[in-house]
Amino acid sequence: MSKKKQIKLEVPETPDLEKITQEKIDAGMFENVADDTIHDQAIEGEAIGFFKDAWMRFKKNKSSVVAAFIILFIVFMAIFGPMMSPYHFREQHTEFGTLPPRVPILENFGIFDGTMQMELFEADAIEMGDAIKSIEREFYWTYKNKQYKKVIANVDMYKYTGAEDHYFIFGTDNIGRDLFVRLWRGTRISLLIGFVSVIINCVIGVVYGSISGYYGGKVDMIMQRFIEVLGGVPFLVMSILFIMVLGAGVQSFILVLILTGWIGMSRMIRAQFYRYKDYEYVMASRTMGARDRVLIFRHILPNAIGPIITQATFAVPSAIFSESFLSYLGLGIQAPEPSIGVLLAEGQRVLTTSPHLTLFPALIISLLMLAFNMFGNGLRDAFDPRMRGL
Amino acid sequence: MLKYILKRIAAMVLTLFIILSLSFFAIRLIPGDVAGENAAPEIKAAMEARYHLDKPLGEQYVIFLKNFLSLDFGESMTLYPRRPVFAIIRDKIPTTLMLNIFSLCLTIPVGLFCGIAAALRKNTIVDYAISAMVVFNVSVPSFVFATLLQYIFAYKLGMFPFLLEIEGGFSFSKFWSMILPVLALSFGGIATITRYMRAELFEALNSEYMLLSKSKGLSNVQSTLRHALRNSFIPLCNVIIPMFMNLLGGSMVVENIFGIPGIGSLTSASIQTSDYYLTIAVLFFYSVISLTSMLLVDLSYGIVDPRIRIGGGKVRE
Repeated sequence: MSKKKQIKLEVPETPDLEKITQEKIDAGMFENVADDTIHDQAIEGEAIGFFKDAWMRFKKNKSSVVAAFIILFIVFMAIFGPMMSPYHFREQHTEFGTLPPRVPILENFGIFDGTMQMELFEADAIEMGDAIKSIEREFYWTYKNKQYKKVIANVDMYKYTGAEDHYFIFGTDNIGRDLFVRLWRGTRISLLIGFVSVIINCVIGVVYGSISGYYGGKVDMIMQRFIEVLGGVPFLVMSILFIMVLGAGVQSFILVLILTGWIGMSRMIRAQFYRYKDYEYVMASRTMGARDRVLIFRHILPNAIGPIITQATFAVPSAIFSESFLSYLGLGIQAPEPSIGVLLAEGQRVLTTSPHLTLFPALIISLLMLAFNMFGNGLRDAFDPRMRGL
Repeated sequence: MLKYILKRIAAMVLTLFIILSLSFFAIRLIPGDVAGENAAPEIKAAMEARYHLDKPLGEQYVIFLKNFLSLDFGESMTLYPRRPVFAIIRDKIPTTLMLNIFSLCLTIPVGLFCGIAAALRKNTIVDYAISAMVVFNVSVPSFVFATLLQYIFAYKLGMFPFLLEIEGGFSFSKFWSMILPVLALSFGGIATITRYMRAELFEALNSEYMLLSKSKGLSNVQSTLRHALRNSFIPLCNVIIPMFMNLLGGSMVVENIFGIPGIGSLTSASIQTSDYYLTIAVLFFYSVISLTSMLLVDLSYGIVDPRIRIGGGKVRE
């Protein structure tokens, strides 16, 4: 056993606090060790936010910018096009049925001058007189052992029907309604159906997907089973049944597109929530007392803004396509209101005699779908550069 | 696995039941008369008795479901009066099936070839040309394309007949008349396969196992054929299997345009003539096809890629 050594702790003298605080400290007592200049580059240029960043990337994509202008042009024409023409979309000129297109200035160059190639008996051709611009060729047609002289002639339909004062720049349909007005009016309705259904689908899909993704568990399970059953019904079957019951019209079309259209959006949103809801920033916000509503709509949902916009853009052409497809099958908007699909279905029946009735609606719908697809591609690349070129 | 399949089939039956009930009540809600407005009262009464329309709605529904369970889909009313619906559909299937098989024979090889070419030659003129074709195919609706084909090749150039040749057995002229419809049917599918193939193969080519296979000495061709291509086929199941199932479905629009007497034109005709039982049966037929293909797609994942375990319950998604 060793002796315990007595250790004496040296307690430093407590400084006299009062004395210190009373001591006067001024700046002169200090010396600046560092120099005053900040050795860092000043941030030049302005801060770039999410949308600005996307916009800069979008601008570089020439085809998307062109597509955006095409969409704007078609939307503009759909709104104002019918007003530019002196005719009304229901106005019938039965005497001017199925006239080919005739455009004021272009007619002098031999295109869109209202002529139509026709196969005529010689007697008919003579009767037409002045209306015949040129004769392509003559031939003999044998019917019941008799020979008839026939000609293939370019007929100026406007002169023949006495419509010389009129310019139907896209031609007319079989009861003489101006296709130009009807086409833009139809585009207006197709676009209306597309936009309205997509907006409603987005809202439903975002809310449904958010709730399902954020709460998870039992809620998610039940909501996903519901989607599975609903999504199991083929679109065509569902839409045909609904249109048969409700009757064809703008409202029933929109309803049909909404019934199952929101499912894709809700799935995407749900996946986003599954990805972000475990992030630290969400936890931090929850710890500080943020309510579910705030977490869902202010903290997690904004992450999905890019994909939402992109998906919505792609949904517009497919909605327009569905509409024209159903119209084409004879489930379309009821006369006299036209839609692109209705016009195409009407044109298909007289394809060989008046191709212009198919050509212009087909051109517009293809252009519209093309533009929306390109625009959507541009948006996708702009919002999420990782996806570029995929 | 078996439990999963059984579960899926149970869900399928439920969905089919819902579709069936929906279509039954939907058709009852449609305004209009079976016998036509000006029909004599006796004819009307006889028709109503024949189609059980004189009984209360609930009883009609029970009869309808009972018949359906015994595979008696009823009789056609307006389109092919008094012929059993089942026989009508059965007669229409071969035409549709034949055309669609031809179309698949074109779609899958062309689609795969274009997709592979675009991915291997990414960001070259080949890739741009193929991508432009895909965008064109996606943007132009199938009915516009079919109409275009018919106008140019059948009417203006006169190379092909306008409509499908229906009569007779298989002959060269029949085959010739099938070319345009087959092209129109393949139009959309080619774009879909190309797009998927290009994206998947490109991703596979840039993956680490490709780097490994090259560093262990495989040539470019070997590693692409044996590793990249095989892996990129997995997601393609998603698009190719439904195409096989759609062999039976046909395309309403293309069949209408080219006058093909198949399932598609039967569907639109039955809707337009409001042939109740025929419409229900055709819609049911479509639903069965689409649900089965969905099930097959999900099952095929497990077969093609053993890493994917289906039916796992509590795993975080």
